[in-house]
Amino acid sequence: MSASFHVVETELLASLVGQLLELVRDHPIQSQDRDDPLADVLGGVGVDDPGRPTDPVLLRLFPDAYREDDEAASDFRRFTERGLREKKAAYAATVLASLATADQAADSYADAQQREKVKVHLDGNEAEAWLRTLTDLRLALGTRLGVEEGDEEHWQSLPEDDPRRHVHDVYQWLGFVQETLVRALNT
Amino acid sequence: MVTAPVEVERPDVDEVVAQETPWVTVVWNDPVNLMSYVTYVFQTYFGYPKKKAERLMLDVHEKGKAAVSSGSREEMERDVEAMHSYGLWATMQKAGE
Repeated sequence: MSASFHVVETELLASLVGQLLELVRDHPIQSQDRDDPLADVLGGVGVDDPGRPTDPVLLRLFPDAYREDDEAASDFRRFTERGLREKKAAYAATVLASLATADQAADSYADAQQREKVKVHLDGNEAEAWLRTLTDLRLALGTRLGVEEGDEEHWQSLPEDDPRRHVHDVYQWLGFVQETLVRALNT
Repeated sequence: MVTAPVEVERPDVDEVVAQETPWVTVVWNDPVNLMSYVTYVFQTYFGYPKKKAERLMLDVHEKGKAAVSSGSREEMERDVEAMHSYGLWATMQKAGE
């Protein structure tokens, strides 16, 4: 399948996905001790034994698997979080790769106005990676904003220059892209 | 959001799995995930027919949660991990709790 985007949209998406990639790759211990020569050693231990994230975004991306058993939740996190981070990073990298291919195709458009638009071609695996990455982006933005069910009017009532309003617009646009993609996969 | 009509009266998932298997995977409602995507995940990962996937999605949306699969503890750990990889908010518990 293929999807048509404005160049600005693909740039925005690439920027967001790049940030997501940083977020899921960056283990807290590694990021704190980046200049420490022992960081890799400590980081290695840390990745194998990740604590419960304090950042609400990370906690939403890697939620507790047990609600009333902290020890079981901690064990689950130790066995799964590293793999989940790698998976999410791989999906995000796939999205970035398909966006990069779209950029090249854009150069072949002769018409100046058409040059502002790009086509992204996705096979089944790529579409799946897009769905998951769009979800992670929306979870990250939605958690940061504090989105609640049926609160659209609240965001529209914010002043035009409120940055949260802009972020919410982006959040909704990502939802539109995802909805379109799910529909395309269902037909 | 439009509620799809349910054709057949079915027993509550929680009751069914409680009798048959020891553990369940529970998916919780969240304000972010699209209903269409949640249905897609239930179809794609569990291989559920569209009707069943939609019914479970609506249970999550309207009741706040739904038991979406059942089995051994190890099987449910796999399902929960998969749900997290899709970005769904999932936990596991002993059936009937």
